[in-house]
Amino acid sequence: MSDDIQTWSAQLASDPGSLVFLPLAEALRRRGQLDAALAVAQGGVSRYPELADAHDLLGRIRSDRGDTALAQEAWTNALRLQPDLVGAHKGLGYLCYRAGDLQKSLRHLESAMELVPDDSQAQAALQRVRGLLAQPLRPAVGDPFEGGEAGTLLVDSQGRRLGGVMLRSDGTDASDAMAAELSGVSREARRTVRLLGLGEWHSLYLETPGMNLVMQEPRSETLLVLARGPEVPVGRLPLLADRATTLARRWMDKLG
Amino acid sequence: MTNFAQQVLEEVTRIPGVRGALLVSEDDGLIVAEALMEGVDGPAVAALAASLTGRLGRATRALGKAAPVLLHLQATGGAVFSAAGGEGLLLVAVTAADVNAGLVRLSLLDAAGRLS
Amino acid sequence: MRAIEPWVEGPLTTFLTESSARLVLLMTSAGQVIAQHGFTRSLDVMAAAALGAGIVASTGELAKLLGPSPFGALVHQGTNQAVFLAPFTTPRGRWIGLVVYGKETSLGLIQLFFNRMVEDLSQSAPVEHARRAVLAENFEHELNASLRALFGR
Repeated sequence: MSDDIQTWSAQLASDPGSLVFLPLAEALRRRGQLDAALAVAQGGVSRYPELADAHDLLGRIRSDRGDTALAQEAWTNALRLQPDLVGAHKGLGYLCYRAGDLQKSLRHLESAMELVPDDSQAQAALQRVRGLLAQPLRPAVGDPFEGGEAGTLLVDSQGRRLGGVMLRSDGTDASDAMAAELSGVSREARRTVRLLGLGEWHSLYLETPGMNLVMQEPRSETLLVLARGPEVPVGRLPLLADRATTLARRWMDKLG
Repeated sequence: MTNFAQQVLEEVTRIPGVRGALLVSEDDGLIVAEALMEGVDGPAVAALAASLTGRLGRATRALGKAAPVLLHLQATGGAVFSAAGGEGLLLVAVTAADVNAGLVRLSLLDAAGRLS
Repeated sequence: MRAIEPWVEGPLTTFLTESSARLVLLMTSAGQVIAQHGFTRSLDVMAAAALGAGIVASTGELAKLLGPSPFGALVHQGTNQAVFLAPFTTPRGRWIGLVVYGKETSLGLIQLFFNRMVEDLSQSAPVEHARRAVLAENFEHELNASLRALFGR
């Protein structure tokens, strides 16, 4: 990957008009180098303002950075230039989902599916949104749309999802993959504080480019994860996590 | 690098409530440089913080995100912070429970940026 | 996990759980196996014990040549897995730990929990009874008995 980035960077340096900015910015985005990705993509959009793919790329980068309004603007521009651009429909479907506008999210995801019927990512996201619309109540663990929330997930000690949902920025469902990777986090957090003589752990905060996460243990060996965009102040995360943990405990108590 | 790292770690430990700061290799969980108060088990902090950071990095990648730039494990008797320091290094701090977490966060992110 | 001496099992089990090591071999400095985890063939255990003891002995001699401080642990980092080899002192004499681990854990964790296992072993060791000399004529018998215990055969 880094070899590709070096090659494409060299190509772009020698030929600033090259379309190589598209794979270069995407590779930087995937590596989490969002500032660099944004600079490259913005350069490309200025040079090719009528290229829908460039606006789509800009939308992905801005979405990863948590710049929701700017991401929406980029994808809207992309669709104005090319109404059948699947990536832009998926991106807007995700942003609408995050904003709680499930009907609009549904329309964008259905458009994406009409354009590429075998797109498994769009299909999974569409099923998720349809499922939420069909439910009389929102997902049991908290309200995933409150406070610009990007997802809430409750995971058992075996790495299985107990409730909630966690979506990637392209709208695909990351719940099961996240749940599997989070198996053992409670145990490891407990071991860390035990061996360091720090008492009992109660919260784990993570900051990633474009998203912050907070984790708590509502019950022994279960893990509650809340993901928020960077627009939610860091200081609010503990309050939101405490509230979600209380809700999760009640929900699990009801299950028995 | 080592002198500079040492200087950066000592700056972090000047924050009241910080009991130690370490530069740790992310893959190995071994100490590269340290500034620790008496009684802090440096090798244990390094190994455990790197392990937890690595595990959570796999989780954030499953979410389509890069590895965490900052981790904060809060416990009743203290906290562990870990910031990505570039080139496979982590900047780790162990603190008392009542530390100014906002200040530690900013200090670590600033220090990690200078070390990158 | 199999151990010739039952009191070794507790500390070794904790080490395996916490460190996520793939293979572990505990042996005396003469290469006599005390416990093993993860080996499936007795021949591998015998060879690993002999080679491990040989490496520790030769690096010990090298350390003597180079300076006053003895070497601690020896680590060989491979592409997919690594080998950690360390001598340590127990109430039963000088032993050696050979640990094979992969990317699911780290050298820091292996060292951390290995050191804790060494402490646990010191505390768990029963009061020593008179140590029997291993004579050449009964060495093979002892070896076979050890391997039966280690592989449950």
